[in-house]
Amino acid sequence: MSTVLEQIEQQIAKLSGKGVKKNTGNIRTVADGVAKIDGLSDVMYNEMVQFPGGAIGIALNLEEDEVGCVILGDLSSLKEGDEVTTTGRLLSVPVGKELLGRTVDALGNPVDGKGPIDAKEFYPVERIAPGVVVRKSVSQALFTGIMAIDSMIPIGRGQRELIIGDRGTGKTTITIDTIINQARINRVGLASGDAKFRPVYSIYVAVGQKNSNIARTVTALEAAGALEFTTIVAAPAADNPANLYLAPYSGAAMGEWFMENGMDALIVYDDLSKHAVAYRQISLILKRPSGREAYPGDVFYLHSRLLERAARLEGKGSLTALPIIETLAGDVSAYISTNVISITDGQIFLETDLFNQGIRPAISVGLSVSRVGSAAQIKATKQVGGKLKGELAQFRELAAFAQFGSDLDAKTKAQLDRGNRIVELFKQPAFSPLPIELQVAVLFAMQKGFFEPIDIRKVVEAAVSLKSFFTTRKDALLAEIRTKAALDAELEAKLQAACEEWKSSFAA
Amino acid sequence: MASHAKIAELFARQLFKLSVVGGAVSAEQVAGVLAYVEKHRPANSVMVLKAYHRLVAAELAKGEAVVEHAGAVDDAMLAAIAALMSRQYGRPVVATAKPRAALLAGLRVRVGDDVYESSIAGQLAALASAV
Repeated sequence: MSTVLEQIEQQIAKLSGKGVKKNTGNIRTVADGVAKIDGLSDVMYNEMVQFPGGAIGIALNLEEDEVGCVILGDLSSLKEGDEVTTTGRLLSVPVGKELLGRTVDALGNPVDGKGPIDAKEFYPVERIAPGVVVRKSVSQALFTGIMAIDSMIPIGRGQRELIIGDRGTGKTTITIDTIINQARINRVGLASGDAKFRPVYSIYVAVGQKNSNIARTVTALEAAGALEFTTIVAAPAADNPANLYLAPYSGAAMGEWFMENGMDALIVYDDLSKHAVAYRQISLILKRPSGREAYPGDVFYLHSRLLERAARLEGKGSLTALPIIETLAGDVSAYISTNVISITDGQIFLETDLFNQGIRPAISVGLSVSRVGSAAQIKATKQVGGKLKGELAQFRELAAFAQFGSDLDAKTKAQLDRGNRIVELFKQPAFSPLPIELQVAVLFAMQKGFFEPIDIRKVVEAAVSLKSFFTTRKDALLAEIRTKAALDAELEAKLQAACEEWKSSFAA
Repeated sequence: MASHAKIAELFARQLFKLSVVGGAVSAEQVAGVLAYVEKHRPANSVMVLKAYHRLVAAELAKGEAVVEHAGAVDDAMLAAIAALMSRQYGRPVVATAKPRAALLAGLRVRVGDDVYESSIAGQLAALASAV
């Protein structure tokens, strides 16, 4: 008991040593999550300010005689005249491995009911993106587990790849698949004891989504065993716009910790359209001048400074960003879409028509691109899928022309037939990412014409059978592809033999 | 409505600039401004006067150290505080005492937006947030 008293006395002695100087102001108005404050003459841009009752705010508008602050937390008890004080600190969030497996809000507070997070470090939410000198070119693959992406639109560690499409086209599913695939690779890699293996940790930032959707995502990740490698930053639609605005930056800070400490991380921003809308709301309430579609003038900077924080650093780790943008009626030329397209290193465009035709993932090969290109692919994938994108694009063109006439020459018919088979082959159910070695095996079989004699309607069934054949009976061959990461003559012969074996069993 | 408030704010700021002479608010100039407003009745004069009042009050607060205290504060202490603050801010600061029992013990000095807290209530609040 005496120790407790001594501690309190020491604290009092420490505090009573000298007076504390604070810079204060008074609330003039509070509305829609934004407070206008008189005073606060010493406040810095983006500084945290303390409101009575424990709520905090961020100073976003510094004017001649008033300060505009967004309020984070409960503002129901705030009233005109309440005193607000500066804190001298920028907004920071907890970072580190302690956050893995947890769901937190935009400020890093746990919202999953699993108790407090014992984080040792804090990073500021807003940070300057790494400069040119410290960056390294993207050359290491980040496998999504989605065959169409890994073979045609490869993503590398440190890349920013936009996922864009209308609502309900499977944008979130692609990112969840990617997170699940990272967890699967992590488990295999860590179990192998390979000292050079670099696991990828994931951060999923949900901006303006329904709580039920976030809960579904958490459940899907948990069911797939991916939650232990993932942090979820939740700023649901019911949160105030300030939290929606901050959540991606908080997630970026959490991802940067991995990058700065020599690890690799993947961050998903789901989605930046709602993020821009939240920022527009804040800006309009702050009475900032509005421009196109009522967005403020700095809406480009809003996303560019966020996405520039994704990088691969020399001598350190990487942060790969998968931002999501929701389009309206497939219009990729909208304001926010074009902004983010120009910032990122490529985009995966999902089409409603393809989705409705049952082609899932509904990736439009013509409009999707990865500016990193084959630099982010392993040699084996390049060997079996290097020409796929061109072939598929040619097929789409031919298919469009074929609609006008029925008389087609044999070569065109063969091309159309092959294209249809590739489309069927790329169909993949949700939450079932494919290991890269299995993708190589399937693509090898396709390139060598093993699917040619099979009826187009049975290609999906055949692909499932082939995958099952390889995973159950050719595990050693898959492991060899995984370790070699390239197909030499010996491996090709083994693959050919395995495919022949499968062909006879499938035909039977 | 918003534009009216903006115009009133700008006009009030112009009037305020006229009221400051040599870095301090001049009572004569303020009286002149009030007389002008009464005579010419500019549009939204209530809004203008409210904004003007806020600006003048903020400026006057910079020259006044409001010493809130729970215990006794004598004139010598007030004079010492005034001298200290004048030196700190590089302008004449007048100290005025304002009893406030809620502080429990100690002082709280406010000069403009700055607050110097050395009260038991403030320390307890800091202790509560530190624990």
